[in-house]
Amino acid sequence: MNTVIIDGLAFAIPLFIIAIGGIYSERSGVTNLALEGFLGFGAFFGAAAVMVLTGGNLAGIEIPMFFAALAFAMIGGALFAMLHALLCVPFKANQVISGVVINILATALTAFFTSQINTYLLGKPTNKFVLGICERFTVPVISKIPVLGAFFTDVYYFIPIIIVVALFMTYMLYKSRFGLRLRACGDNPHAVDAAGGNVSRTRFIAVMISGALSGLGGICFAYSISSSFSPSIYAGYGFLAIAALIFGNWKIGPTLAACLFFGFARSGGHQLTQTLSLPSAFQDVISILPYVLTLLLLVFFSSTNRAPRALGEIYDKGKR
Amino acid sequence: MRGKDNRLPNPITRGFLGVIGNEKRQSISIPLFAILLSLVAASIVILLLGKNPLTAITSFLQGSGILPKPDYAAKKSILTDFMSMINMWTPMIFAALAVAVALKTGLFNIGVSGQMLVAGFVATITVGYSNLPAAIAMPLVLVIGLVCGGAVGALIGWLKHKFNINEVVTSIMLNYIFQYVTSYFINSYYVNPVSRQSQPISQAARLTLVDVNIASLGLKMDIPLAFLLTIPVAILVLFLLNRTRLGYELKIVGLNQKAAKYAGIKVGRSMVSSMAISGALAGLAGVTLYLGYYNSIQPRVLTSVGFDSIAVCLLGNSHPIGILFSSLLISIISKGSNYMSSIMGVPQEIAQVITGLILLFSACGAYIRFRVAQAREDFPGKKLKPRAQKVKEGGDEA
Repeated sequence: MNTVIIDGLAFAIPLFIIAIGGIYSERSGVTNLALEGFLGFGAFFGAAAVMVLTGGNLAGIEIPMFFAALAFAMIGGALFAMLHALLCVPFKANQVISGVVINILATALTAFFTSQINTYLLGKPTNKFVLGICERFTVPVISKIPVLGAFFTDVYYFIPIIIVVALFMTYMLYKSRFGLRLRACGDNPHAVDAAGGNVSRTRFIAVMISGALSGLGGICFAYSISSSFSPSIYAGYGFLAIAALIFGNWKIGPTLAACLFFGFARSGGHQLTQTLSLPSAFQDVISILPYVLTLLLLVFFSSTNRAPRALGEIYDKGKR
Repeated sequence: MRGKDNRLPNPITRGFLGVIGNEKRQSISIPLFAILLSLVAASIVILLLGKNPLTAITSFLQGSGILPKPDYAAKKSILTDFMSMINMWTPMIFAALAVAVALKTGLFNIGVSGQMLVAGFVATITVGYSNLPAAIAMPLVLVIGLVCGGAVGALIGWLKHKFNINEVVTSIMLNYIFQYVTSYFINSYYVNPVSRQSQPISQAARLTLVDVNIASLGLKMDIPLAFLLTIPVAILVLFLLNRTRLGYELKIVGLNQKAAKYAGIKVGRSMVSSMAISGALAGLAGVTLYLGYYNSIQPRVLTSVGFDSIAVCLLGNSHPIGILFSSLLISIISKGSNYMSSIMGVPQEIAQVITGLILLFSACGAYIRFRVAQAREDFPGKKLKPRAQKVKEGGDEA
């Protein structure tokens, strides 16, 4: 049971921050299928920065470098997201297509640069940066509580960081002036314009925030699931985050529930195959659990789903 | 050459406008312009690596059998390379057509890869592992591909129509489900212990004839039979969209759902049939990939063809004939990348980067169109300059 909670949380929380990134972009009216690319490029940027800073030798300074990686991943994600923002906002490209193109480009660029950087740094063109696993901590007293204590046992360092960021982003989206503008841009951009807001700028910033948050989520996946940056980071987590946010009806609270659901269903499935000591091929059957359950739940809940009204529409000042 | 004058430093706004042409011609000239821009950007990347971009471009063409290589191994020639490029091109065409049909109805089929996998898997275990003679097996493979893909597509459309489930989410979920389910079956029943892939299918069921000895030419080559279908299917899709009642309804639903409903078109039925057609085409792509280009399935891996095809479809303006050309271009680049990389000593990943750049610039097509229209309105003159700069900015970003 404890493993289910610990692993589930370690998967759900990075997924959640990526989904928040998606919510920011989509609530501002920009369809974002590029989350996959953002998280990959952000993770690449963070990992590459650490490699370049340390020359490939991480021994002894893992923890400060971990924080550096988080910061650089957010910067890298935001910079890369500018490309999507540039295409979608001033260049008026089709947002869905731009997203797909960004994903393809991210995969290509990161693979190319990873092998280039490794050639210069280590002398061999490998396709991954080895980062190691993020440190964990256990809260002394609370972790002794049965069941609930598992939430405070062996927690990755990045989990509290993400939770703080997520709280701040939630506050910003729902309580700040910028957040109000942003949400209005997704529902009625002309009203924002009439009220003196700048639709293009708000959307541009929203997409960049989305990139930064996805980069953060991406580097956390790199530090937990694979303990390295490699092309395996493109395992569809970005798409899963999109599914989570649509499932969560573009609201942060329900999206958290969806992410936790994915995380626990995933780790629960793993645990189930282990306790029943099923042959490893059964792992695959159990792995479909979160996806099948999502589809079933959607059958019951999605009739009330409502996307932001201006989602995917290119803002045209002259249109009535 | 079109667009050569664009690269001249100063003048030529007027010439540029003339070259880009009117709206009808723009559907061709703007993608070409995007390709040109991306080639320039790619050349800069290759220059930065200290290599000659012209050699790189020629070696792409040589590797994919468009231009002759300096020398060939025994029983190989330019024709061998060309046939093997066509082998790769075939599934890409079907997959991009699948995306195009859905897109015309305003639906986004991101599940092409999953539909391809299902179709390929079912055809593999039914016909691929049977002893049927080729004359029965091959048509059967195609039919199974069409039916399986179509069924999945129809399911996605039906869920959208009946329960308002966003087709993007359904497709993504189904992609995962298919990936794991087929992986389970392959690993449990059909795995080849050496390659860790599914057992190779029987030669009779494979849509590509492999290593055929052509005595008269003294060559050995692959012959992708399914390629014969691509052009008729593309024309069929064009006919469906432009000349039939169903196609008309699909397009109207895509343009304006409310208007379509008001005009008495059954929106739900249109969405289901559009996704069914799209899925069927994806199924064709699947069988030509897994029972043609390959002869086995790697468990737990979704092919990137399904995702690339989305962008290929865009590059071809979602037009069946345009798609034939855009998919050719992308196939040349991916097929030629091996040879290019060995000739130039640059990593093979650069091919992916170039593909990405082409798609990136073609995504800006709408913007170029918009600026051209604006410049034309303002009188062909000074106004076009900022446009050229803007596009450059996008390039630097990439």
